[in-house]
Amino acid sequence: MRELKIDRVTKYYGAFKALDNVELTIKPQEFMVVMGPSGCGKTTLLLVILGVMNPDGGHILLDGKAIDDLPIEERNISYVPQDFGLFPHLTVYGNVAFGLKVRGYPEDKTRGEVDRLLAAVDLQGLEERKPKELSAGQRQRVALARALATNPFVLLLDEPLSNIDEATKAEVRENLKAFVAKTRITTVCVTHNPEDAFELGDRIAVMFSGRIIQCDSPLNLLQEPVNEAVKRLIAPMYLLWNVKGKEQSF
Amino acid sequence: MVKVRDRFEFVVQTLAYIFIAYMLISLFYLYIAVGENWNLVWKALFDSRVIGALAISVSSAFIVGGLAIAAGIPVAYLLAHKNFRGKSILETLLIDMPQTFPPVTEGLVYLLMLGPYGLSYTYAAVIIAKFYVSAPFTVSFMTRRFREIRGAGFDIIAKSLGAKTIHILSWVLLPLSARDLLAGFSLTWARAMGELAATLVFAGAVPWKTEIIPTLVYLTSREAPQIAIAASVIAETLSLIALLSFRRIARERE
Repeated sequence: MRELKIDRVTKYYGAFKALDNVELTIKPQEFMVVMGPSGCGKTTLLLVILGVMNPDGGHILLDGKAIDDLPIEERNISYVPQDFGLFPHLTVYGNVAFGLKVRGYPEDKTRGEVDRLLAAVDLQGLEERKPKELSAGQRQRVALARALATNPFVLLLDEPLSNIDEATKAEVRENLKAFVAKTRITTVCVTHNPEDAFELGDRIAVMFSGRIIQCDSPLNLLQEPVNEAVKRLIAPMYLLWNVKGKEQSF
Repeated sequence: MVKVRDRFEFVVQTLAYIFIAYMLISLFYLYIAVGENWNLVWKALFDSRVIGALAISVSSAFIVGGLAIAAGIPVAYLLAHKNFRGKSILETLLIDMPQTFPPVTEGLVYLLMLGPYGLSYTYAAVIIAKFYVSAPFTVSFMTRRFREIRGAGFDIIAKSLGAKTIHILSWVLLPLSARDLLAGFSLTWARAMGELAATLVFAGAVPWKTEIIPTLVYLTSREAPQIAIAASVIAETLSLIALLSFRRIARERE
């Protein structure tokens, strides 16, 4: 259970400032959602945390120690991309076992661990299926099981519900929330969808143009949005959560 | 026949059919040219010089294909995964240039560069000459595929799960590139089978040592055209069978 700190991180793409002095602390076991419109820098933030790109300024700290110089494979930070990124040539078992095999786990221990994880995500009996033979919800659960198999310090989720159809979204979201809560892992999830953010997050960091504008619990965010932009972004939630903002007129 | 919907489509289709006819006639005219002299082809099959040239052609093409895979994988990994100054120029020099550079010139380069070390007119010279013009097909296919896989983010996911380069290559990149590897190998093999100029200049045409089917055809086309035609038919048939087989294997892997 680790604390992840994003310490004044700045990232440029050429002259474009994708991340502008981002400062955020994710407490151990916390589910932090970074929410903002497309192109605001959410995914860039995830990739900097993951180690795909180095920040041009600032640091990423895990339990107070800077991990900027650690390559991706040594950070022990798991990542579930938007399309889940399951290896298409491997079965469900092969996907979940991947990180364990990389670490040289013996076959029987790997088998036991994969069985335990597949049971946790309710996918027993599908071990031999290829990703293309699964529904989107099942693929997401395989991706989660794979990401957590290596017992990572932090879990990063990139728009985890954007590929799930509306009919099953609520159920999948509930399962995701319950599963991550059970594992008690420090999680950073990025989304543009306020409903997903409010249903999943312990806290929500609202991001615009590479900056964190406000970071608060869902309820506080609804009751005290710092500006009009935040208020507009979370507007649908006033109705869904039946909460009145301080000065809201929705 | 595709149904013609408008005049422009008719023109496009006609041009396409002209091209298809040109390619197919060029490819299969040899069988027509043999006419009723198939007994000559049959006889040539047992001609010692033809057998020797065929053995050297086929064996060297397989060795070149194998070497192209061995070299192509690391080069493709480098080109697809590393960013460095001059990468696109290097890619042009490694992939495009060998396919457009006159092979006869390359044969001369090897003659000057490696001849003094006793490598000219040897079986190794056949491999070296064929490798330069043929290997870029494998490198090109593998580089494109590795880039696609990287674009899908699989290498990042594998790394986030703790994978090192060896795991990414053997458990992700290569299994996902099997079809492209086979396609690259088959084109490399076919190109190596047909290579003439560089091999002739650097390796010569010593029967049962460095003489390959293309050099045999070139050298006998005037003095013994029946041998040249027979050798060509054998080589072409073999190439057709091999390419169609590779294609079928690749399709079965889909």
